[in-house]
Amino acid sequence: MEKLLFFVYSIGILIRVYLNFSDFSTSIADRVEVSTPLNSWKRVIEGVSLYNKNINPYDGDLFHETPLALVFFSHLTSTFSDFYVSLVFIVCDLMTAFVLYYTSKIYTENLLKQQAKTKHVYNKEFNKLLIPDDFSVINPFYVCSVYMLNPYTVFSCIARTTTVFNNLFLALCLYSMVKRHRLLGCLSLVLASLPTFYTFGLLAPLMISCAPIDPKKKTGSFIITFLTCGTISCSLLYLCYNIMNEWTFLDSVYGFILNVRDLKPNIGLFWYFFTEMFEHFRALFVCAFQLNASVLYVVPLSIRLRRDPLLLATSLLTLTAVFKSYPSIGDVGFYLSLLPIHRHLFYFMQQAFIVSCFFVGCTVFAPTVWHLWIYSRSANANFYFGVTLAFATTQIFLITDLLFAYIKREFALKHGMKRMINGKEARLMLD
Amino acid sequence: MNAKSLVFLFMFIGHAYSETYNEELFIKPLATGYVYSFFQFTVIREDDSFKHSTLFPHSLGDIIDRFYVAELNVDLTSGLWRHKSWGYPAVDAPSGAEISARFHNDTQDVDKNWYGLTNALSGLLCTSLNFINSANSYESSADRVYRYSNLPRENVCTENLTPWKKLLPCDSTRGLSSLLNSGRVHNANYHSLGIHFRPLCNAGKCKYELRQTVSLVYDSVFISFNNKYDWSLRKMFGTGLFKTCPLADYSKIYLDTSSNSSVPYLISQEPDYILKNSIAVYNLKGIFHLSAIVPRPKIVVSELRPLLYTDRFITGFGQEYGGLVTRIYNDHRSSINATVIENIPWFLPIYYHTLKVTSNGVRVTPKALIYKPGKGRVRIYYLEIVLELAPRSVTEISVQFDYVFLKWQEYPPDANHGFYIGSAIVKATIPRHATSLTFDKSLIIDNLNSTGSDYLICLKTENFIITLPTPDFSMPYNVICLACTVVALAFGPIHNITTKRLKLTTAKYVPGLASVAQKLYVWLENIFWSKKKNKTGKAAVVKVFVPEELSYHPTFGHVSEEFMKDKVDFIAS
Repeated sequence: MEKLLFFVYSIGILIRVYLNFSDFSTSIADRVEVSTPLNSWKRVIEGVSLYNKNINPYDGDLFHETPLALVFFSHLTSTFSDFYVSLVFIVCDLMTAFVLYYTSKIYTENLLKQQAKTKHVYNKEFNKLLIPDDFSVINPFYVCSVYMLNPYTVFSCIARTTTVFNNLFLALCLYSMVKRHRLLGCLSLVLASLPTFYTFGLLAPLMISCAPIDPKKKTGSFIITFLTCGTISCSLLYLCYNIMNEWTFLDSVYGFILNVRDLKPNIGLFWYFFTEMFEHFRALFVCAFQLNASVLYVVPLSIRLRRDPLLLATSLLTLTAVFKSYPSIGDVGFYLSLLPIHRHLFYFMQQAFIVSCFFVGCTVFAPTVWHLWIYSRSANANFYFGVTLAFATTQIFLITDLLFAYIKREFALKHGMKRMINGKEARLMLD
Repeated sequence: MNAKSLVFLFMFIGHAYSETYNEELFIKPLATGYVYSFFQFTVIREDDSFKHSTLFPHSLGDIIDRFYVAELNVDLTSGLWRHKSWGYPAVDAPSGAEISARFHNDTQDVDKNWYGLTNALSGLLCTSLNFINSANSYESSADRVYRYSNLPRENVCTENLTPWKKLLPCDSTRGLSSLLNSGRVHNANYHSLGIHFRPLCNAGKCKYELRQTVSLVYDSVFISFNNKYDWSLRKMFGTGLFKTCPLADYSKIYLDTSSNSSVPYLISQEPDYILKNSIAVYNLKGIFHLSAIVPRPKIVVSELRPLLYTDRFITGFGQEYGGLVTRIYNDHRSSINATVIENIPWFLPIYYHTLKVTSNGVRVTPKALIYKPGKGRVRIYYLEIVLELAPRSVTEISVQFDYVFLKWQEYPPDANHGFYIGSAIVKATIPRHATSLTFDKSLIIDNLNSTGSDYLICLKTENFIITLPTPDFSMPYNVICLACTVVALAFGPIHNITTKRLKLTTAKYVPGLASVAQKLYVWLENIFWSKKKNKTGKAAVVKVFVPEELSYHPTFGHVSEEFMKDKVDFIAS
């Protein structure tokens, strides 16, 4: 297995290095699906060069990273040459894969331990539902290889989107969830959420996973985690303020994300919706869509999936990747690589074939209709909108299928695999 | 009222407010058979309060007073001035409307006055200057009280000329303004109306000057009807000159004959006198006519080519990424200092880090650079570059931009026609070249007599049109429905998963509409046959089992207690 892992790693590195120094890198970076106004490297460079000229980049309309990131990228680009900067991105991607590997390993081992404890409760009939021991070896390998070889993450890395750093912090956050490191979890969560805002919903799984089993101490632990995150984010925001000496960056970062000021097409739902929106309904729909993307699903899912914080985190990440205002395929690639962690649920998933066909179809169609619309001008915006709708629907199918699989497995563990009542065919329904 | 009493009346009023008025027309045949005529009507007054005036237009004076205007330039232009073949005009104005104003230094809220001024002027001149807002005007980097804006899409027409003529003391009934016939003016290849107001201060004593200008360029082939290059006042303006304006101190026509050496032509009238060997001057008194017979002109562009001219265009294809290139040609033997001001609208966001200045292909660093990034729907991208243009060089300023996707209601009515992008401004001091008019003196005659060696020119580059990608304007309802459906696709199942419990049922799955029909059928059946059949609906037969109530059997699956009892009996028997 180590050899195989090494092989996957080296293939991933080779692809990244090759694409980075080929002519494809600029055309990949220019793709709307890869680079959004929020994560594109071109805009980072613009912000850094303005900052170095003593012009406030937040006065303009192009730069939307936090001041912390501004300072970091400013140092990064001034100390390293272009070649080393791209190496930094590749190394970050490798680290993410590595962290995800360990996350998956620890998570599956924990699952196995838990299973061993509760095994006696289950009926012998259900033995085939039990997680085999080899999952703790194979799952991490799958996770790692999906992250390393998935074209979505590869493109995101080649285009040098800041999603690469974001994914690293998210991976660290997930790692500390399974490791129950409160401080590391809070820190990485805040670092991941500061520039992108939406992922703060992961606070819920972090709170759950850091809490002790004793129900009396749970509330206290929740509060501590919450306060730690709050303190860290406040102090980081204050640090940002100290860097810029004014609060205008808040509007440039969060105002920009929440008000959807840039309507450049991306793989999300926002761009065309708010292009075509009637001006007097705009505020209402902005609120509705932002609530839907950020907090709507956090509480109900946290209650339902409280026993499996990592699945909760995966589904929240998926939902934000679908519904956030400037999604990119880097986000999609990240949650896709989390799916093999939940391989024990795959048995109950029903739409894998349709979903995978649609993923391939959308990935092929999006650049095609984009070219038809923007370059040869023989198509129009509706074509691209259609593809993004299909892509969003696909992702929604995927995540709802996964969640259904979870509750079906839960049901089957308790009540058996046979769906029969009194010898007659029966079916499962939600009531 | 005879002339005597009129003069008396004006002497009486003019006593308190000393004002002078002059009318001038400068005609210059250009290369390639075009004729340039430049009208200038100048009022100079000494009083700085515009409440009472005799010659100064009262409506404009009110606006100047009300909004604390110190200096004002308005130009309404249609057509493109071709510097390369026509040299420099007296007033360089870009196509469309251009307005700049300087307010008094102690003005508190400059922006408020600026918008007030533009709104008032839009009413006065019937223009769309009221569309000026923070998103298409800028303040100078050095001057707090200076504002500039241009509206490249403005369509200049008769409705602008008529109110413009009303500002003149003699309206359009007498004097040179009677030549400004709207039908003919708008037939010109290039026409530009201007209003220029400024103070002329000398040792603390100020005079106020208002110049109303018209620049017209006619194609002499087009106006001569006989396919020759002859031109005359009547051919150009459709009428001769019959009466002079009695309010004017003098009315003069100047004819530039400097091109006579290369392209000789015959003039019908002997001039009153000749200025600097090349400019024929006519003092107008009564009926006047002027015509020129031109043999086929040699087209000599090179000798008329100005020292400094510009080019501007966009690069790239598709509607995603583009580049903006401004080229400045310096044909002079020595280097020239130039300031380039680019004002790029917010919907063309430029990337500062892609800004590249090259001179003859070699990258150079500008002497000074001011950049103010724009902001969507609020502020333009302002770029000011001070350059030293090397002798005989082409300097190229290029910058990359993105095409922005706008909201559907922000597109103009003919969305695929595109957006007009206003001109860049190039300011430079160049040595006097050929016969060029300058603006440093009030009257054309003073400018023609000027002996200064250098003068400041202000070039305006071409406008261009950019087609931004458009959405489908007929789609708003569809898009709203479809996008909300996708959101509901996620909301529905997640709502079910989080709020409901899995249960087993033996009821057959009936898809969508059929289930509604079935329920309706059962409901109707209950109403009509309930008494006859005396039984409850079929719906009640189906039972939903909570698995906790049932026990599990390896072959029968979930089993209820009654069922097991029956089974046990069955097996026992």
